[in-house]
Amino acid sequence: MRAYGAGWRIMGLVCILAAGVAGCGGNRKNQEPIAAEEGGMGSYQEVLECSFGRRTLANPKFPDGDTYEDNAYTRYVLEKLNVRVIDDFEANGEDYDRQVSLAIASGELPDALFIGSKDILDELVENDLVEDLTQAYEDYASEYMKEVYDSYDGRCLDTATYNGRLMAIPGTNLDSAPCVAYVRQDWLEKAGLIVDEDGDHCLTIEELERIGRTFLEKDPGGSGNPVGMAFVPYLTADDYGGSGYTMNAVTSAFGAYPKLWIRDEDGNVVYGSTTPQMKASLGKLAEWFEEGVLDPQFGTRTWDDITALLTNNQLGIAFGPWHIPDWLLNNVKGMNPEAEFAAFTVCDGEGRVNVAHSNAGNGYMVVRKGYSNPEVIVKMLNLFFDDLVNHSGLEQEAPEIAAYMSLGVDNSARPFQVEVNAYTSLLDDYADIKGCMNGEITMEEVRTAESKSIVESIRRYLKGPKAEVSDWSRYTSRMGGIELIESLTKKGQFRWETPVFRGTTKTMKKSGASLGKMEEETFVGIVTGSVPLDRFDGFVADWKAQGGEKITAEIEEALAAEGGNGR
Amino acid sequence: MGKGSARNGNGIGTQAMFHLMMLPGMVFVAVFCYVPMVGIIMAFQDFVPAKGLLGSEFVGLEHFQYMFQLPDIGQVFTNTLVIAVGKIVLGTLMAIAFAILLNEIRVKFLKKAVQTIVYLPHFLSWVVLAAVVVNMVNLDGPVNQMLTAIGLEKINFLGSNTWFRPMVIATDVWKEFGYNSIVYLAAITAIDPGLHEAAAIDGATWRQRVWHITLPGMLPIILLMAAMSLTSILSAGFDQIYNLYSPMVYKTGDVLDTYVYRMGLIGRQYSFSTAVGLLRSVVGLILMVTANELSKRFTERKIF
Repeated sequence: MRAYGAGWRIMGLVCILAAGVAGCGGNRKNQEPIAAEEGGMGSYQEVLECSFGRRTLANPKFPDGDTYEDNAYTRYVLEKLNVRVIDDFEANGEDYDRQVSLAIASGELPDALFIGSKDILDELVENDLVEDLTQAYEDYASEYMKEVYDSYDGRCLDTATYNGRLMAIPGTNLDSAPCVAYVRQDWLEKAGLIVDEDGDHCLTIEELERIGRTFLEKDPGGSGNPVGMAFVPYLTADDYGGSGYTMNAVTSAFGAYPKLWIRDEDGNVVYGSTTPQMKASLGKLAEWFEEGVLDPQFGTRTWDDITALLTNNQLGIAFGPWHIPDWLLNNVKGMNPEAEFAAFTVCDGEGRVNVAHSNAGNGYMVVRKGYSNPEVIVKMLNLFFDDLVNHSGLEQEAPEIAAYMSLGVDNSARPFQVEVNAYTSLLDDYADIKGCMNGEITMEEVRTAESKSIVESIRRYLKGPKAEVSDWSRYTSRMGGIELIESLTKKGQFRWETPVFRGTTKTMKKSGASLGKMEEETFVGIVTGSVPLDRFDGFVADWKAQGGEKITAEIEEALAAEGGNGR
Repeated sequence: MGKGSARNGNGIGTQAMFHLMMLPGMVFVAVFCYVPMVGIIMAFQDFVPAKGLLGSEFVGLEHFQYMFQLPDIGQVFTNTLVIAVGKIVLGTLMAIAFAILLNEIRVKFLKKAVQTIVYLPHFLSWVVLAAVVVNMVNLDGPVNQMLTAIGLEKINFLGSNTWFRPMVIATDVWKEFGYNSIVYLAAITAIDPGLHEAAAIDGATWRQRVWHITLPGMLPIILLMAAMSLTSILSAGFDQIYNLYSPMVYKTGDVLDTYVYRMGLIGRQYSFSTAVGLLRSVVGLILMVTANELSKRFTERKIF
């Protein structure tokens, strides 16, 4: 990802300057609205062209010949809504945000696009660049979609509402936790290591350490160059989806909530990265580094390097959200057919798993100001998250899409690039899958098309020889990852923390980047031993002095203005 | 000159073709170098893309003040200067030394072969070379294997604050010295061989000839190149450092370019980034003009 940085930067400067000179007069011509049939999925009378900014994935697993611009989903949109999807730009990961920044700077926004961060949405709304979707949502969203959003008690739509107007269609983010440690089951057996004797899939921090040490000493992968545990240099993540290869499983065991704003025991707002619990978590990592259990190249090892360690059989522990078998560990399985992963999490001394509620909004779909048919985005919402989800005869009516589901083509293939699911859908869907596997319910009773496809995958996997890697992925992420979440939920082992603030304050905008740099630098230094652990207290003092204290005060103020309960 | 003036007499007519040939270049320079300069205004504004250059609020020197009160700015300036000066000094010395030595090779084939080999890295992008460097010096790489073989400790070169700057300077010098030596080679060829022959007859050794003939002959070019490189004193090479650094070496490796990049384009602080860029250009310009004046005073040669 980094590789493209330089080119974009130069292009960026050129574009920004050029746009500045042009006075941002580059707005598109606005055509007359095209009439459509009645209803939430009414087809347009003429082909409606809609340009998009698309966030892509390096390996979306398209069948041959299909692209982001022309695939089963975009063809379905054309067939059902008579809307032709055109990609203005496609970009991967971080580069996508950069592209969006450039599109904003040049005043050339596509007709509709995915926005990843709230900050960018704020900027778009403040500058009146996006359409007000209040009326479109009111008139076109199906009853089912409204129920889905209502399952969040308004918390999700609130994230896209400004002065009572809905400015974007937000993606939902149900509470999913914890950061899972996927451990090579075949290696545990090979090394004869017995952990988690009570079988609840909760490891103590000592057990995790023992696994790392054993993998390092015995090298069950036979790579000749094993690594015990590996983390990315940024160490922590403030949201569940971004927790891949982070130390969030470890901070959870110490009760630390890095990068999140929480209330301490006395009710004061504190920044989770500055708490004593965070210091203890870092102390543990420093110990591991000193001993060698933690990757000696920690700090310079990037995300891609860690993936390579996993696929080369050098590393046997992968931290991340429950779904990493679907898009990350599948690479490991593909290279090493013998690989099996068991899902564990790390609990604190009292057997609890400390986790934080997710932000209810997760990504946004916006329509640029002046586009002729802004309601098209709501129609797509209905199409993808009502029609396709609740479709009973997908195999017959849209065989292409059914094939996509069983192939595991990434959902980013949809032009509507956020996920909208009911608050309880993760465990609801899992209950269907598990019930169907146990024979408690029939295939017809399984509620969503995707769940049906997953049941079929898991059956294929369990039958053996003909199973594809994607079947294995779905088996591992559901029967391992979500099973873990379900059992922790049932046993009440979660301790939920509610972050009080997710926005950006004035001082954050100004000092955020340099405070972030200080945090990252200090933490990496502490772990690698180039900075003593006690320097953490100095970091907290510096952090406060250089803007942290001011930000905390601003947040207290914002919360007081809101009536105190935040979120 | 006499002839030339006479020709000028018939006016632009005869030279129209040549002027026309210059046109694309001029247009290019105007569009991509001069027009964008208008954007400098952003440095003094609180620039909001949607409002454009004319609509954004003027804030005067606020961004410059802000820059100098940033806690890291001293460190970042130091890193930039140390790395840039290291690259300029070592890079120039290497290129000169290489040019002089190469000039001594009499076998034509060998000379061409060496030249081609040392020019090659110049044409590769840092994105590619960084991957090579990383793999060479990481803990499992060949360099560290050699260190272990002779009984030394492994060194995480790119993760160590002691080693990062030398690594950056050394790899940059390695990449560029061959290409930079071209201009010095040309300067050497321009020296009258009669001088060398006369010195040799008078019994001057090779060393003495290099010192008293070759180097003084190259001096104007050396001065010119040095003065030109001063303009880049505040840019230590974004592509290279961006692809080699990590949070572990921010302390010694975070330079103005990478810092502004992280703050600016990722954090979308357009005005702030422009202000830093402007400051860098102004410093470069001042240094270059000063160098020119100094050169005039001490060597009685103007660089340009």
